[in-house]
Amino acid sequence: MNKLTYVAKNAMLNMRRSPLIVFATIIAVLVSSFLVFTTLSARSIVENNTIRWQNGVHVVVFLDDRVTTTAHKQLQESLESYPEVRTVDYFTKAEAAEEFKALFNDQPELLSEVDFAILPSSLRVNLNNPSDYQLILERMDGNPAVKEIRTSGEAIERLLNLTNTLVVSATSFAFLIGFAAFILIVNTLRLAAYSKKKEIKIMRLVGASATYIRLPFIFEAVFESLIGTSIAVGLGWALIEYSKGSIVSDSIFDITISDNYLIYLTLLLLLSSLIFGLIASFVGIRKVIND
Amino acid sequence: MIKLNNVSLVFQGGSVALSNITTTINDSEFIYLVGHSGSGKSSLLKVLYKEFEATKGEIEVAGLDVIELPKWKLPLLRRKLGIVTQEPQLLENRTAFENIAFALEVMGADNQEIDAKTNTLLELVDIVENAYKYPNQLSGGEQTRVSIARALANNPMILLCDEPTGNLDPDLSIQIVSLLEKINRAGTTVIMATHDSSIVNRRKKRVLELSNGKLIRDELEGSYITN
Repeated sequence: MNKLTYVAKNAMLNMRRSPLIVFATIIAVLVSSFLVFTTLSARSIVENNTIRWQNGVHVVVFLDDRVTTTAHKQLQESLESYPEVRTVDYFTKAEAAEEFKALFNDQPELLSEVDFAILPSSLRVNLNNPSDYQLILERMDGNPAVKEIRTSGEAIERLLNLTNTLVVSATSFAFLIGFAAFILIVNTLRLAAYSKKKEIKIMRLVGASATYIRLPFIFEAVFESLIGTSIAVGLGWALIEYSKGSIVSDSIFDITISDNYLIYLTLLLLLSSLIFGLIASFVGIRKVIND
Repeated sequence: MIKLNNVSLVFQGGSVALSNITTTINDSEFIYLVGHSGSGKSSLLKVLYKEFEATKGEIEVAGLDVIELPKWKLPLLRRKLGIVTQEPQLLENRTAFENIAFALEVMGADNQEIDAKTNTLLELVDIVENAYKYPNQLSGGEQTRVSIARALANNPMILLCDEPTGNLDPDLSIQIVSLLEKINRAGTTVIMATHDSSIVNRRKKRVLELSNGKLIRDELEGSYITN
């Protein structure tokens, strides 16, 4: 117990001696952890949304009404035989009209002017992997039963690419700031250790173990790192809660992210900051301890 | 007991600090380690507490094989030794009491034990009245006493003193030597490095003399005869 008191007391004393550097370190850790937390959360949100979209229709094959329904049936059968296709639903002209009415029921003028007879029947294709939409385009190329093909795969692919780029950029930036935080901690500890060089020398002479000599410094680094990360995680949770009720949630995205994932992310970040603090303290005082 | 067998220490660059030192020091002995500056006295003490790694030979201190002792086990050796350096190495921002208590504090002693033991040590080295003075308020002799008390805090079997009287006038030196003899009478082995012939000649203890890193004399009831 006395040893623990000694460690905590000395770590606090070190931090009291250089409050500005401690503050800068905590801020750097905070920014870095916040970036990692928010980008990974954002990626999860985008993935949740794209999974939802991916479960829908990926390719719509509008059929030429001049071709017989037998030809339509044959086309459906050949689509169903392709390995990349999960399901194919036949959508009649009547169903297309119903869908149109449902979509534009708030625009009666438009509905009154549309000739529903021009709406084509279609085959709505769900793929095992949405990025395989190109294969369908290739297979349908030149088929006389096909009037037009529309895909959603390209849009999803673009969104995923954009998200991945965003994650990579933000994570790289977070690492850069994390590295700055690392240098700050290392320097703070090195300065503290140099200022206590005599004390460390005496401790070694009287037989204190290297671990015991290191402990106040380890405590300081881990404390700063954990404080920064805890605040970052708290802010991240608050931002997600705020976003759920925001305009973004009502328009493009459904801000859904599982609590389990957030807890996992929180624990991962706290564990990382613990390891970060341990490594920083090891590097920071290695030279002074070994001198 | 301390045993040295053919111990040599060669620094990087080839400078020889110790050369084939062989000797045995029994428990409760008082040893004067003499020689000119640069003769190897400090180096010999430092290889005993493994501040320097001997280049060759065998060293046994208080039952531990110093040469083979891994770095992480070094505290085991240091806890059996008390080390007094020429500069007292006191912490300026702590009182005499706190400087002594520091050695106990870092070893994890509880507050009650720290208080009791520190007071006993203050009495032993006779600086009770100056217990709450800071190092810059103490004389050189008093600082050395605090340094000795701190070295004794963990009940060492062996006390290694590297020129503890080096910066003191003759009267104060005699007082420090008397204190070390008192500690020795209580059973602690004391090895004191010095180049002060007046002390050695008066005290008539076993003398080990070094010259250019070689042990040139080892005699009981010796005197300082190097010129």
